Amino acid sequence: MLEADVIQYRGFRNIERDGKAVGFQICVRSDYYRGVWLSQLRPGKVVVDGVTYPKEDVIWEINGKDHTVAELAEAGGEFWRITDVATLKIMKDGGLSQGFHDVSVRFAASCSYMPPFLDQFDEDGDDRSFNGGTYTRKNMIIV
Amino acid sequence: MERRVKRGVAIYSYSGEYGRTMNLEDCFKDLRDMGATGIEILANSHIDSYPALTDEYVAEWMRLCTAYGVEPVEYGHWIDSRLYRNREISPQEAREKLVNDFQIAHRLGFRILRTKMGVINAELAPMENWREIIESVLPEAEKYDVVMCPEIHLTTVLSDRFVQDYVDFINETGTKNFGLNIDLSVFQNRFDVPGVVVFNPDCKHSQPEEIIPLLPYVKCIHAKFNKMDDDFNELTIPYPEILKILTDYGWEGYLLSEYEGEKKDVPGFVSHELRKQHVMMKRILGY
Repeated sequence: MLEADVIQYRGFRNIERDGKAVGFQICVRSDYYRGVWLSQLRPGKVVVDGVTYPKEDVIWEINGKDHTVAELAEAGGEFWRITDVATLKIMKDGGLSQGFHDVSVRFAASCSYMPPFLDQFDEDGDDRSFNGGTYTRKNMIIV
Repeated sequence: MERRVKRGVAIYSYSGEYGRTMNLEDCFKDLRDMGATGIEILANSHIDSYPALTDEYVAEWMRLCTAYGVEPVEYGHWIDSRLYRNREISPQEAREKLVNDFQIAHRLGFRILRTKMGVINAELAPMENWREIIESVLPEAEKYDVVMCPEIHLTTVLSDRFVQDYVDFINETGTKNFGLNIDLSVFQNRFDVPGVVVFNPDCKHSQPEEIIPLLPYVKCIHAKFNKMDDDFNELTIPYPEILKILTDYGWEGYLLSEYEGEKKDVPGFVSHELRKQHVMMKRILGY
């Protein structure tokens, strides 16, 4: 079972290589009632403690496979289930410091059964649409 | 009394809890409590191996249906016409996904499909090449014994042109593999009730009797509900009139409950509202 918040406590940690932190990862569940093909995702920016990581800096791992946002846009044959998390990975020397962090993740899903004028999402903006928005969870802990 | 109108549940209703505080078996447990004998699943939501179908899932599905006395009624799937950001999908791309859904639905025991098409305007008219796409898969639909049903849903009203286009398509092709799913939201005549989630307060609505000429084409009904009171009345949709028409005209099929009100993510809330709605439907139906 997943946590009720879109941003999950489980899975939030630094990414280590050769014993050194080289980045960090955040797990999110879908906020949509149905799973989507990856090309329907509208991945946006990630903000940690006020620092913005543009969408191009975020790798989305879904079903064990890494995707850049450009690759997601073409992945119309791969599917993100609502019972699985996506792991968002961001490279950053040293990772995040031990202790509390405020985390925001922005994304949405395109929805063909809604009128085209409603099926819009600004990945880099801050507004909510019917099918997505910016999700925030405060005081996430890096151990 | 003949019991042609049957009660079921679209487990879309549980979307605020599914995968968090409820799993598939919890849904079946609720259905048994309500005496609901049919279920609608959404392929993209409730099949944990989608777009594949594993033997493990099939075995568990069969176990649940048998254990809880529930039959597979409707399989929800989509034609995501805007699958890619910069172009509409081709008929061939749509066809591949449709045939996959036919195969899954057939293996799980579903005959009726709620085929949700991409739309092009505020009235929810389908994409312009819907006939071409649907016609291209009619042989496979026949082979796998499934009936594709677009869902007629608010903000559409029954008098909208494309509803008649669907009927004309059925008559012109003579197909038995295309029909209609009427969502009772098309009869919603109250938008000002506290607790009702309203996207478009100026929405038109249809009158209950407008469903009569469509009944021969209606394979399934979404028993949409938004707000129950504690006397077991639904406050936004004229259920007594609609259900009387269905029984008077001898319509046979399932009413699949679909909750669209508030507090979907409050654990237990939707389960409670569904029970109220099924009390209402039992009282009106008389069984």
